Amino acid sequence: MSIGALTHPPSSRRFLLIAHSALLIALVLGMEQLAPMFRALFPDQDPAMYQRESFLNLTLAHLALVLLSSLISVSVGVAAGLFVTRPAGREFEPLVSTLAAIGQTFPPAAVLAIVVPIAGFGFVPTLVALVLYGLLPVVQNTVAGLGTVPSQTLEAARGNGMSTWQILWHIELPLAMRVIIAGVRVSVIINIGTATIGSTVGATTLGTPIIAGLVGNNLPYVIQGAILVGLLAIVTDLAFERLERRFSFGEEGNAA
Amino acid sequence: MPVSAFRLPTSSTSDARLIANRVLITLLCAGWLSAWLLSFATLSPNRLAAGQAVMLRDAASEWQFAVMLVLTGLLTVAAFKRPLPRALAHAVVLLASLGLLLVTLYSLGDYAQRALADTSSAARISQGAAFWVIVFCCALAAIDTFQRTASGWLLRLGYMLIAGGSVAMLFASGHFHDLSIMREYANIRDDFADQLITHLVLVGAALGPALLIGIPLGLLAHRHMRLRGALFSVLNFFQTIPSIALFALLIAPLSALGNAFPLLGEWGIKGIGAAPAIIALVMYALLPVVRNTYAGLKGVPPATVEAARGMGMTARQVLWRVEIPLALPVMLSGLRIVTVQAIGLTVVAALIGAGGLGAFIFQGLGQYAIDLVLLGAIPTIVLAVIADFTLQMLVVLSKPAGTRR
Amino acid sequence: MIELQGLTKCYGDTRVVDDISLTVEQGEFCVLIGPSGCGKSTTLKMINRLIAHSGGKVLVGGDDVTTLPPERLRRRIGYAIQSIGLFPHWRVADNIATVPRLLKWPASRIAERVDELLALFQLDTDGLHDKYPHQLSGGQAQRVGVARALAADPDVLLMDEPFGAVDPLTRDALQVELSRVHRQTGKTIVFVTHDMDEALRLASRVALLNGGQLVQYDRPAELLVAPANDFVRDFIGRADLGLKLLSRRRVEEYSRAAQRTRNNALASASITWQVDADDRPMALLGGRLGEPDTARTVVTPEWTATPDMSMKEALSRMVWFRVTALPVLDSEGRLLGEVTMSGVMGHRP
Repeated sequence: MSIGALTHPPSSRRFLLIAHSALLIALVLGMEQLAPMFRALFPDQDPAMYQRESFLNLTLAHLALVLLSSLISVSVGVAAGLFVTRPAGREFEPLVSTLAAIGQTFPPAAVLAIVVPIAGFGFVPTLVALVLYGLLPVVQNTVAGLGTVPSQTLEAARGNGMSTWQILWHIELPLAMRVIIAGVRVSVIINIGTATIGSTVGATTLGTPIIAGLVGNNLPYVIQGAILVGLLAIVTDLAFERLERRFSFGEEGNAA
Repeated sequence: MPVSAFRLPTSSTSDARLIANRVLITLLCAGWLSAWLLSFATLSPNRLAAGQAVMLRDAASEWQFAVMLVLTGLLTVAAFKRPLPRALAHAVVLLASLGLLLVTLYSLGDYAQRALADTSSAARISQGAAFWVIVFCCALAAIDTFQRTASGWLLRLGYMLIAGGSVAMLFASGHFHDLSIMREYANIRDDFADQLITHLVLVGAALGPALLIGIPLGLLAHRHMRLRGALFSVLNFFQTIPSIALFALLIAPLSALGNAFPLLGEWGIKGIGAAPAIIALVMYALLPVVRNTYAGLKGVPPATVEAARGMGMTARQVLWRVEIPLALPVMLSGLRIVTVQAIGLTVVAALIGAGGLGAFIFQGLGQYAIDLVLLGAIPTIVLAVIADFTLQMLVVLSKPAGTRR
Repeated sequence: MIELQGLTKCYGDTRVVDDISLTVEQGEFCVLIGPSGCGKSTTLKMINRLIAHSGGKVLVGGDDVTTLPPERLRRRIGYAIQSIGLFPHWRVADNIATVPRLLKWPASRIAERVDELLALFQLDTDGLHDKYPHQLSGGQAQRVGVARALAADPDVLLMDEPFGAVDPLTRDALQVELSRVHRQTGKTIVFVTHDMDEALRLASRVALLNGGQLVQYDRPAELLVAPANDFVRDFIGRADLGLKLLSRRRVEEYSRAAQRTRNNALASASITWQVDADDRPMALLGGRLGEPDTARTVVTPEWTATPDMSMKEALSRMVWFRVTALPVLDSEGRLLGEVTMSGVMGHRP
């Protein structure tokens, strides 16, 4: 059951997306303007505004990390999902599905920590952890999505003389797309969160001010980072929800 | 037409194939390749210095290497169509992969004992990449076999208990005493127990309120359609916010509350520590609990509920005797999601001073002490996997006998 | 006895049940029938207050149903729906015991009653007692459903398309069985269906509904011979109205004395039966369409009739075997009389 089916109608969701995006952009560009407010709220904190790096840079670095890792996860994940649902790779399907299910019980923070001994500190281990963890929901949903294509539909396609590639491209992928995108959505949202923790292994992200604030006991830093990363996740989630809706063909997502 | 019709061509070609189990062949190749190319262990002069790689052939003794050769040979034979019959081949894979796992673990510990006998006591021996790959491949071979044979959960449970038990016995015997990670463990033994308990207490403290609030909310969502949209929007909102951000955002209001009412502060309601951690964990846990309660109740056939009312059951009787028993499996899979999720999120809670196994991870990252990081990360993963497996069993058992198929 | 007095149900401005008044006497088998959306199910569910009515009155055994708490009312009234209404997590015995348990009967009495009902519905074989609903065949599940409705020995039984989801053969068997149980127990039954054949087969009275209104409430035969308007005629099916009527008639109503002979000689009547020493018919002399009156046709069991056979079936046999008469036999195979094609035509419905 997708959450989209249970929440508000599309029109009000679109308003939410626009409003949150506007707020996110305004805060990324104009957080410094709020300095007087933070000073007033936390008079004994000096400085009350994170200044080691601009919030724009932090956000872009965060986005770069998430985008790059998601790009790799999605290409590898969809390819793997396709492989194990074709005759040649079907033997690997149970193992890959189980692996994806067990892998997702691993805490993201623990996966991040385990990559450090292998890949060191900084951008690379965070990227590796994000790719590894982000793969799992994509693989799982690709397999599940392709599995939901009715066998009668496939038979009809074959009966009409479509080639294997035509069936894949024109029938299977479009019909599986909503479920695959739902997997990408989960993967990206988790990665936005894990990238935040990535600042503990030395990656520069929106988590950097949060960690700096926690270590240095500076609450304004923590709030500034947390609000931005929270908004970023919400905007991304709302955008994916719209994308999912576009690919539902008379299913729950459309009806709700 | 059943789906299997489309799979027929595959199985018929596999009849003509020489190799019966390509998954096993792949795993064997991966294992040997890693043993050939990657380090099995690393030997470093002290706790923090970089180490020097030791390959499997050099680390394992003659007899250990011979046993590994024999076991992988058996596995290779089992992967082929002939001469072993299928059932026997599956049994061989299960036993040989467990044997290989144990002998790999044993030879690592044994190597550490032999190597440290003639070097300085500050030297450290750690497990290398090849070690992890081999252990991983053994586990995958066993899992894949269980899926091929579609064996019941009783057999799986038995196998897991035997495997877990033998590994635990190796640890208990002190065989790994000279491994770097175990030395690290010896240093923090008491602290480790404390943090493990803290971790579990945090998870438990979050699950209780989550169930107490979430189940009634799920019931409400099922009964009142108007409420549903708003409720799920709000809960999805919580779930979307990255954990560390939610933990962090709770610090400010809670510290304000603690300062304004010193009594609350004395009770532990303050900016950092357990209070924000538990509140955030509850907020995360609500969505799966509410969603699965709702989905479970929604899955009860309307005709069954109507029959129950038509028989003269009161609303309460319908709920307790019909709806909840039928919804229980779905509700329990919600509990499973939430438990696994809470174990993972509690790691992050260490960043706001709540303690738990995450404390070792972040402490280790801060000191560049990899063993300490692993002492936090591996037990968390084991904890999550055990919780997942146990609750999965519970889901199976909770299915009313009449609906278990 | 059930009385509906001006019963009405409105959803917003639409009246799904509009001012229905009818009385179901003690021991009557009343079938509510009509096209989808005619309000038949709604009417049924207003009797045990699964749906609250918006106007009028429902009396069960003389008491207004609104004077009782709904749960107490429902425990007094049996209720059976399609098999999906069985509780999937309870065994057959537990399902049947539902209402006795709600009424807090002592365990021994419940066990006794369950066994009694399993026997009544011929379910007391191969450990059915302890099976779960999904292990039952469609027919068994339906019978458990009806048994469950009868468990607390209610005077009144409400059934909402209980045989809607089973194959035609099982459905036939279930209808025969329900008729038997009705005769044995003398319960008052209100039964909803959209299948006219089912209604004609089971009902002692049929209430035909359309657009929430009661169109005709009559004995099945009256409905066939004196339909109130064109809607009734259409709904029954104009095309096979005659056959429907014949399906309600029995051979003995049409049977008349037969002409017998002991040898091959043709008697005076155009149809004569050659019988043996025990008065068993051996051959029909004459009476074959398109053949001379002297034609001799050997009697086979396929084209004989019994007194309680329906006339529809007798006619069907005549058509199939191309004879204009069937011998009516008693249980020993002796000739009681005959039914003829011209007799079917001559009889006034």
